[in-house]
Amino acid sequence: MLGFFGTSADSDLCHLQLGNGSVHHELIRPNNYRQRSVIRCCSTARGRTKDYYYQVLGVTVYSTPQEIKEAYRKLQKQHHPDIAGYKGHDYTLLLNEAYKVLMRSLSRHADGKSRAGPLWKWSHWDGYSSWNGPVRSQALFVDENKCIGQLAVESCPVNCIHWVDSQELPMLGFLSRPQPKAMASSVVGGNGPRTCSQQPRTLPRDSKGWSRNLNGSNPPEATVGIQTAKLKQRRRLRRGLVDVWNVLRRWRKGGTDQ
Amino acid sequence: MAEQPYTVASDSETTGEDKSQPSFPDVAIGIDIGTSKCSVAVWNGHQVELLKNTRNQKGMRSYVMFKDDNLSAGVTGGAARENAHEERDILSGSAIFNMKRLIGRMDTDEVVQASKTLPFLVQTLGIGVRPFIAALVNNMWRSTTPEEVLAIFLLELKALVEMHLKHPVRNAVLTIPVAFSRFQQTRIERACAMAGLHVLRLMPEPTAVALLYAQQQQQLMHDNMGSGIEKIALIFNMGAGYCDVAVAATAGGVSQIRALSGCTVGGEDILQNIMHHVLPNFDSLYAGQTMDRIRSMGLLRIATQDAIHRLANQETVEINVDLGNGQKLSKVLDHSEFEQVNRAIFEKCEKIINQCLLDAKLVPEDINDVILVGGCSRIPRIRSLVLGLCKKEVSYKNIDALEAAVSGAALEGAIASGVTDPSGTLDLLTIQATPMNLGIRVDGDNFAAIIPRNTTVPARRDMLFTTTHDNQTEALIAVYEGEGERAEDNHLLGYFKITGIPPAPKGSVEISVCMDIDASNVLRVFAGVVKPQGPAIPPFIEVRMPTLDDGHGWCGQALAKTYGKTLDLAVLPKKLQP
Repeated sequence: MLGFFGTSADSDLCHLQLGNGSVHHELIRPNNYRQRSVIRCCSTARGRTKDYYYQVLGVTVYSTPQEIKEAYRKLQKQHHPDIAGYKGHDYTLLLNEAYKVLMRSLSRHADGKSRAGPLWKWSHWDGYSSWNGPVRSQALFVDENKCIGQLAVESCPVNCIHWVDSQELPMLGFLSRPQPKAMASSVVGGNGPRTCSQQPRTLPRDSKGWSRNLNGSNPPEATVGIQTAKLKQRRRLRRGLVDVWNVLRRWRKGGTDQ
Repeated sequence: MAEQPYTVASDSETTGEDKSQPSFPDVAIGIDIGTSKCSVAVWNGHQVELLKNTRNQKGMRSYVMFKDDNLSAGVTGGAARENAHEERDILSGSAIFNMKRLIGRMDTDEVVQASKTLPFLVQTLGIGVRPFIAALVNNMWRSTTPEEVLAIFLLELKALVEMHLKHPVRNAVLTIPVAFSRFQQTRIERACAMAGLHVLRLMPEPTAVALLYAQQQQQLMHDNMGSGIEKIALIFNMGAGYCDVAVAATAGGVSQIRALSGCTVGGEDILQNIMHHVLPNFDSLYAGQTMDRIRSMGLLRIATQDAIHRLANQETVEINVDLGNGQKLSKVLDHSEFEQVNRAIFEKCEKIINQCLLDAKLVPEDINDVILVGGCSRIPRIRSLVLGLCKKEVSYKNIDALEAAVSGAALEGAIASGVTDPSGTLDLLTIQATPMNLGIRVDGDNFAAIIPRNTTVPARRDMLFTTTHDNQTEALIAVYEGEGERAEDNHLLGYFKITGIPPAPKGSVEISVCMDIDASNVLRVFAGVVKPQGPAIPPFIEVRMPTLDDGHGWCGQALAKTYGKTLDLAVLPKKLQP
């Protein structure tokens, strides 16, 4: 697979220095062939996550669209083939991809303002979990930090899948994702260190297929089972998150006042 | 016309090598070949300088005059010879012009059909081959090709530049219309190669204007210490042959093309419409080109053109022509009549502007500046139409409508040649986008777009396909470009076969087709079997597109006739989709 791109670059691994010089990481040539046949609730099926794209552009998850644009342009000015010559081709491809993915998720959020309710101000939350399907009061949430790859709510041995109010999705998504250091210690301190290698998944996108399945074609008795499981899970989950939620709300107040 | 040296010279790999040692004399020049006028500019170390010809013109009429054994292009306008060419000489049938409308088009194309009213010979057979073009030399039609005419013109242009710069020039950045297909682009490259010019970049005209705008905005920012806020500009460019629209987001010297659209309408169409309007029996009158008909048609053309120009500033104009043979034409034309006759053209302009805004996901309120360039931007109706659609009172002022594209091309030439300017004047970049969908034919005559239009360049996308028959061992990859939903409605760029597919039930083999466009707009297609894997799988194939040389109208039909659906592919349904 790598061989046939031989004309475009001389090595398959490019070591690149990002704009600020502080992040030095390895760029592995894109794997264009994704696995599409396996559906797992947390996997690296797509190979790249938004985290990776944030790193590529050297921005944080809290960056505004304006900041992402500026970072993108700045990097383009260094690496675009017009300026850097043909060797900039592959890196520019990656920049374009990262920019497209991040901007798209931001604009999708902007469109869904009304549905997101009181949380809409959190523009950087987009890219976290949000439900794009029909408006419903409940949604499935997968705690990626626990997940070991099971699919069904009941059979998951580590309780990583929960039924929650769809309004809570972004918040939960936010809590379960890697945070900048300062945030992580103040908000989710007890839950252990998180690194960027833990890849958050936006749940609805990956699981829409099968969650709709659960909804639509399941026989009634299964639905009842799910209902009870749902209630249990929800209670358990809520208790754990309540204090975190409160901390976060306080922080958020401070943040928006600025 | 030797082909081999040209193909090698325009390969982008050589471009990369060239740029490793930039030296000042290698700065690429910027050329704007217009349908009607042409100009050339160069970065002189401090700024962009437009070059003038011996007649002190910056915009040189695009034509080549065939006279006896002499050829002379519009660059010098025949000034070096006994007397300068006048418009009447150009319309005598001895000169070929409108090369840009004819280049790379088949004789079934309606643009070629409409060109039959030009004074030189355009003969069509209507079967999808290149038209026969000839100029009148000593009462004889002498055949030529648009590429050849363009090459002669470019050769004279190159000589002019070399005279000014006092060193040989090799590289050039040319502007092209958005509506140009990749096949037409190769024709332009070939014409350049024949003239000894290496094409560094082919830039869509409005994107060249966007680059100039980015430079001006950055200059303003430096002067006023203003903040580098993003500005959205809509660039509308309408010349004699083509109409283009681009939406560009500009900040910090980077102009990012958000959307592009274009169509083949321009001043030439307006002129034709008016000529048919003032002389209703135009077609029957000028069927078959005899000497006196050519002369009389030339007179009508000059008078109409003049009337259209005057109409930009006047309420009404009078057209008075003595067509010869006792025929006199006298007609008064006013604005409402003019607009009525050309309504279809204005509607087309409106359509592509709306399309462009839609593609850029913007509303008129988002636009900061409307830039109107090209000769036709002087027409009041066009101005009001564009400004009205963008909900603006006035257009952007600091850009010269006729010099913008060539200045942008010269800037790009300097940037892509690796020139840096200590004052930061060249700290610029255009991030281009693809103007048309690129994809392959699937399932009979369907078109699967792999790189959709307005994708940021450089771009690389891939898509998985599968076989449509059990034990299918070969598959045809036919690459198309265009906006149509059916493959037949688009331009065929080339085709190749994947052979040695392991026998399997239909739908179980995965074939990946990857398209890659680099910054110099070279398209490469990679294809091969990705599932099943193993040593029994044939190697991937890399093809540089377009591979087709000529008569491309026939190829698609011939392929369909010979192979039917036996080599078809189908899009592999995405399993993760809802």
